[in-house]
Order: sequence, then structure tokens, then C-alpha cells
Amino acid sequence: MGVISTESPGRTPGVAARPATARVPLVKAVAVGIVALLLLLLVVQPFGWVLYNSFHDDVSGAWTLGNYARIVQSADLFEPLVNSLILAVATAVIAVGVGVPLAWLVSRTDMPFRRTIRVLTLTAFVTPSFIGATGWILLAAPNSGWLNALWRIIAGAEAGPLLNIYSMAGAIFICGLYTVPYSFTMVSSALDEMAVELEDAATTLGSGTLRTMLSITIPLATPAVIASFILSFIQGLTLFGVPAFLLTPTGIPVVTTKLAEFYQQFPPEIFLAAAYCMPLLLVTAMLFRMRRRILGRKQYVTISGKTRAGRLIRLGGARWPAFFAALLMPLFSVFLPYAALLLVSLTRAWGQGLTWENLSLHWYWWALFGNSETSTAIVNSLVYSTLGATLCVALGTVVAYFVERRVVPGAGILGAVATVPIIVPGIVLSVGFFAAYTRAPLNLYGTPMLLIAAFAATFLPIAYAHGGAILKGIGPELERAARSLGAGEGKAFLSITVPLMGGGLVSGWFLVFIPIIRELSVAVFLITPKTNVMTTLIYNAKDGGNYEAVCAMSVLLLLLTLLLVAAARPLTRLLSARRTSRKAADTAGVFPA
Amino acid sequence: MMEFSRRRLLQTGGLVGTALLSSGLAGTAFSRIAAAADDPLYAAAKKEGALTLYWGSYEQQTMEAIRDAFKATYPGIEVNLLRQASQTVYTRLRMELQGGVNECDSLGTTNLLHYTELKKVGALAPFEPADAVNLPDAFRGLDPDKMYHVGAISLTSINYAPGKVPTPPASWQALLEDQWHGKITTGSPAFSGDVANWVVAIRRKYGDDFLRAFGKQKPKVGQSNVDTVTDILAGERVVGSGAPFSYTLTQKAAGNPIDVVAPSDDAILNLGVTGILAKAPHPNAARLFTNFLYSKEVSLILQKNYWPTLRKDVAWAEGRSLDKLKWTRNTGDDLGPEVAEGIAKWKEYVR
Repeated sequence: MGVISTESPGRTPGVAARPATARVPLVKAVAVGIVALLLLLLVVQPFGWVLYNSFHDDVSGAWTLGNYARIVQSADLFEPLVNSLILAVATAVIAVGVGVPLAWLVSRTDMPFRRTIRVLTLTAFVTPSFIGATGWILLAAPNSGWLNALWRIIAGAEAGPLLNIYSMAGAIFICGLYTVPYSFTMVSSALDEMAVELEDAATTLGSGTLRTMLSITIPLATPAVIASFILSFIQGLTLFGVPAFLLTPTGIPVVTTKLAEFYQQFPPEIFLAAAYCMPLLLVTAMLFRMRRRILGRKQYVTISGKTRAGRLIRLGGARWPAFFAALLMPLFSVFLPYAALLLVSLTRAWGQGLTWENLSLHWYWWALFGNSETSTAIVNSLVYSTLGATLCVALGTVVAYFVERRVVPGAGILGAVATVPIIVPGIVLSVGFFAAYTRAPLNLYGTPMLLIAAFAATFLPIAYAHGGAILKGIGPELERAARSLGAGEGKAFLSITVPLMGGGLVSGWFLVFIPIIRELSVAVFLITPKTNVMTTLIYNAKDGGNYEAVCAMSVLLLLLTLLLVAAARPLTRLLSARRTSRKAADTAGVFPA
Repeated sequence: MMEFSRRRLLQTGGLVGTALLSSGLAGTAFSRIAAAADDPLYAAAKKEGALTLYWGSYEQQTMEAIRDAFKATYPGIEVNLLRQASQTVYTRLRMELQGGVNECDSLGTTNLLHYTELKKVGALAPFEPADAVNLPDAFRGLDPDKMYHVGAISLTSINYAPGKVPTPPASWQALLEDQWHGKITTGSPAFSGDVANWVVAIRRKYGDDFLRAFGKQKPKVGQSNVDTVTDILAGERVVGSGAPFSYTLTQKAAGNPIDVVAPSDDAILNLGVTGILAKAPHPNAARLFTNFLYSKEVSLILQKNYWPTLRKDVAWAEGRSLDKLKWTRNTGDDLGPEVAEGIAKWKEYVR
């Protein structure tokens, strides 16, 4: 890689042309080796166990194809697959349909209160979807939902319910709502980092705002849009809480609720459960193939050697209507459900309704101090999430770099490996991690490392997809410039690419950190009394029917995460290369703010 | 945090103390604590220094109270409590056994089948807890080989919203009356062991006709039977079938408008079971804990949390007792297939 190759950096002519490059392959070999080893330990091994299990009989433990045969033959097992696909496609359509325009409004226009909308959308992200579902049950259960009660006041007591959250439509609504933050964050960070030459060219040639957005801006963000579509689709497939709460009462089975049944019954059928995940893997693999065909060899580079900072598009009279439209998302995902949760959490006994005597901070006191387990769990949650997210983003970004820059032949395989975990529903993955990490070479059972490794591995696909989407927008010219000035590949990556990814990396970190802190299923078989986390405690409270405690702990979890996000904002600004250049441009008076 | 846990400890101690005094049992309890020091089992357990519990019986709050009482009675033994749903801790244990990991000392779950299975593979160690003589006669000597014992008693009943239902259904049969159409909430036998037990009992009693008629009542089917309480308190439904007896009473005591009926055609009783692992890293601590379950301290904690007690001489909360209600328990060696069949029938008629 000693010369600047303008075509394909994957082909490496003349490695030996300059003596100085002799150490580069060594660095590269070591880096690739470490990454491959980490992927092997973190992903291949646990997933290998899931695969291995899927070919074994639950009772006898013998090799068998019986699990797969049952899935193909039994209508009882086929129906949930179809339902899950419907849920997943609808979730992805909503997530992208709402998240992308919202990201554009927030990142590229002069809509008022953009920062507020951004923070509120992140708030929705912090919310575990089963908690959002709980809030919405309070709001839209057919008989008791507060919104339906309101409707009966308007329409008369005999009127049927306006909303029924216990339905496929209800589940799609909730899954979509709480998946929007994925598409929003991924697409908005792509738009934030995007330079504006092409948009300027379009404007110069007489293209209007809308046309520029539709024909230039959004297409340039295609990699992020597609990545977020796939992630949202996978979310729709693998979420357990929402269908368990909303679809069980209507008798619509999906894959994850069916999986829960396999674990619930006696004897548990965990090997059948492993096999039951494979169709999901197949469908998702097909999606990734489609992505490759869509993106093909098109170019999405917008950050290159001669870049200029972004500029806001004036919405004119549409500013306020746009704001109110953007406000709908936080209204549905945060304000309404959290109002319900907050009210319940502030009552001593929520069945008594809202009276002064019934108001109390008791459950907050209980959650923070009255329960000896909670404080340990809060600390554990924070530590594991921080370390897990850091490991995850570091690894995901490096893999994305290897793949995007074709650093080594076959880098695509590393990328494919990094994508696998998220497709496997948490509870099955938990069994895989258990099998992989309770024996040599990586016996971590009972240690915090077990959870950190499992969390990092589970969300690696997000870090990888996000890193890849950003890298697609950064031209390799600057890296090549550094290389031609004698910097090694590692140095070019660290001193050019990483700073250019800047803010995107920070948003990527949160994109991983937040799902980790709210993850439940993966932890199920991995926590021990000393390594308990917040979500398992919340789930225990739900399991024990302690509704006020569930609500209080959910509100606390939300506040805690928001505090962290707020604390990290200065860091985001510091690291964002684009913002810095924008600020420099502002200072120079180039772009009026 | 130190301060709070100390306060909590004092609190628990205080509560237990008050309860003991009021029941006139103080003398025996104090002598018991004094005797603990000379107990050779305690000495051996103290040498082990720790105890790991995998428990699904009892909800978090009660289980923590039992743990704290144990720590107070037997200082010097660190207790690690893994409290998760019964099926989850069992699955975990099974995986640990397969992987050769020995962490768990005492298992406590709500499904007897776990123990017959573990016994079959030689994973349990025999032990005869001396204080188990105080158990109600019906539940003593659960296993002739002393591999497992009763750890909890739970009842499945009917619950309802008193303000909205003047006369609640008095029996399972009464749930089939027209007036309850669209008003019933229940759990799913595929998710809840209690509801699965209820389905087995109801089919033994009334056959599939009951399930068919029950399905026509259009009940709302949640996951756990705890959801019945949630639905009633929210006002989504007014009557709960296959409902948790103790938990409903806890919520009533907290001030929530809800109450229980013990059905005249039998409350369904399910036994929580406990056993000591053959390869327990702290076998003596496990034995000490198992015996402690049958102490007055624990039964008083259970009384306070509206659970059926584990001793004949400690009444349940509000003066209830096993003799005062009609109950039935699913017995038999072939419960596994019967549960599976029940779930299948449920899906056919109710879902």
C-alpha cells in the first residue's frame, strides 16, 4: 500500500517499492489478527453454539435435523414467522418513513427548536419498548385507556373504544415508534457530516428546497437510510416485550413470544429455539444482499479534500408547521406514555386513582434506597454499558474501516460476521454466550467481563453498520494524502479518518450504549447475584406485579440516561470535525448562522 | 448505602421482633438465636462462609426478607440470591450442570417436575430438615428419598374489583355465567405455571367443556396471572380467573381496590419445591438454609407478605388457614404430558 492508488486500494501494487513500508504489513497483520480473533471469540464462538444446538435434540442431546423438520412441517410454528415478518416490515417502514424526514428537518433546516426535538427523540430511544408499551396500555387499552375514556366523554358512554392497543396495528405502532430513533440517529449523523457542494450545485441550477432534498440530500444519505431500514426490520423481528404485552391478549403469536414459550415449558426446548432463529437469519441475509445490489458501486462520498461546511435550508413559512409535525414523535413516544408512567409511579397504590392522599414519592425512595439490590444494579448497568459500548464501537468501526477500504482481501467476511448477532433474538443469544463463555478458552462465568463481552457482541452490528454508513461518506483522498506524506496506515486511520468520523462516532457510541443499558433478554442467563443489572430488576418487579415500582424505576432509568446524554453533549461538540469547521466558517463570516 | 442497609436490617429485625412478641414467641426465638451459636451445622456453614440461592418461588420482596432474616440469624454467611422466574433459574441450572459449572447451592422453584428430573440425573443431595416436622401434614415427606422438600405454597383463585362487582363469582363454574362475558382477565398457560396448573385441574374436574365455555366468555389473556391484578386495577376487566391469591391480598393491603374469592369448587394449590444440589459448593450452608425455611421467623415473614405459612403453628395473614378453605392439588406422576395437552386444548378453545 505504498502508493496512492486512485482506483482500488484493495489491490496492493508495489508493497515492496519503498523500504519504509516494510513495517506497515506488520501493523496491518497485527490489527487484522486482533480483530479476527475478537470476532472469533465474541461472535463466531457463541453463534457457533447456537448453530450447534439447533442440530441437537432437546431431550436426548443427539444430533438431529428434527428441529428444522418441525419448523417446516408444523403450522403452529409457521404462523408466528409470518406474523413476525409483517411486524418487522411495518416497523421498518414506519421507522424510515418518520425517522428520515425528521432527521432532515433537524439536521438541515432552520426549523425552530431543532435541538429540543433531537434530545426528545433520543429520549424515546432510551425507553425500553416494553416500558413504552406499558405506558400505552394505560393510554389506549380498549376499556380503561385514558384516551378512550376521554373519547367516551366526547362521543358518549356507549361509544366503542377509539383505540385498541391490543392489536397488530397497536404493536406495529409501538414497535415503529420506538424504532424511529434508530433511523433518526443514523440518518441525521450522516446528514450532519455531509458537505454541501452538490446541494449548492442543485440550488444554483434552480432546484427548489424540496427537490434538492429529494434528489440530492436523501439519496446521498442512502447508505444510512438502508442501514437503518435493515436495523429497524431486525428490531421488529427480535423485540419481545411489545408483542408479549400487546399481541398475547389477541392471540397473535410471533417468533419471540413463541421462543419464550419454548423456554417456559417443561422440559424447555432450547435447541428447538435455536433452530427457530435460523429463518430470521436467512431473511436478514437476503436483505443485506439487496442492500449490496441497491448501493452497488455508486458513490456517496461527500467529505473530501476540498470540503465546505454545511448550511441550513430555509423553510420560510413552513418552519412552524414543520416543528409541530416533528413534535408528534416525542408526543407519542415520550410525553403521553411517560405522563402515564409518572402518574402511576407517584401513587402509593395506583388502583386508588389520583387523590392527594395517594400521592407519594415512596416508590422512588424504595427504588433508590429501600431495595439493597438497586444501587448495585445501577452501578453495574452504567459500568457494563460504558465499557461494552466502547469495546463495541471500537471494534465495529475498525471492522467497518477494513470493509469499506478493503484493507485486506476477504474483509467482507469480517463484516458479515459482525452483522450476525443482532439477528438472533436475545434469549437464544444468551444461551449461546452462556455456552461459549463458561468454558475454555474464555471462561468468564460470574465475572462482569461476561456481560460486557456479551453486550459488546450483541450490538456490534449497530456499531458496524453505523461506522460503515459514515465511512461511505468520507472520501479516501485525505487518508491517501496522509499516506503519501509518509504516515502509516494505522496513523492515517487514527489521525485522519477517526477525527473526520468524529461526531458520528459519538452518536454511534450512544446508538450502542443506550440499547445496552436497556437490554434485558441477553442478560437473562448471564447475570449472577453480584452482576445484576437494572433491567433484570425492573423485569422482576413486573414479574412480581409491582407496577408502581416498574414505573418508578423506568422513570429513573430514563432520567439517568438523559443525564449521561446531557453530560456527553460537550464531548460531542468537541469531537465533531464538521461542527468545528462550521464554527470556523461562522467565525470567518462565511456562513451566517 | 451502608447506612441504609443497616437501617433496613434493623427494620427487618424490628418487624420480626414485634411480630414475635405479639405472637408470644419471643422466648423461643431468642433461645433459638442463642442456640444457633452452638449448632454444629451452623459452624460448618460458617466455615463455608457463603451460600448461593437460585430461587423463583416468592416474589423479590419476600425472598429478600427471608434472605435478610437468615443473615441476621446466622451472621458470617454471605448470601448470594439469584431471584428470577422459576423456569429461567431452572434452565440456567440445567445449562450449568451440562457445562460442569457448580455455583448453585439451593434451588427453589414452583415446578415439582424440575426436581423429579434433577433427581433422575443424580443432581440432588438428600437432606432431612429437622424443623420440617412443623409443616402441615399434607406436605411432609414430599420425596421418600428426601431429595426435595416443600419450599412454598401458592393458591390460584378468583380476584375481582369490589367497587364494580357487588357479588363476585363464587366458583369456577360461576365464571361461565352470562354476566361475566367480556369481563374476565386471565393469564396464559403457555407463560404461567399457575395457569397451566389451573387448566389441568379444571380439565380433571369439568373436562374440555369448561374450556370451551370459558373461551366463549372472551377472556382477556395476558402472560402471567399477575396481569389479572393489573387489568382489574386499571379497570380493563373486573374479574380475574386463575388469579394469584397471595399477590392479590398484598395489593389489597397496599390499599388497592381488589379482593379475592376462594372458589367453592376448590382453590388450586401448587407447591413450590426446594432442593440442595449434589455438587453444591456450600452444602452445609444450603442445609442450614433449607431448615431455616421451616423456622417461625420465615413463616412470620410469609404471614406478613400474605403467603401461606410453612408451619402449622403460624396462621396465615388475616387468620386464614388451609383448613378453612377448599383446595385441590394436581398430583400424579404423569403431569408433564397432561400440562402439554392442557395447553394445546387451551389454544384450541380459548385463545
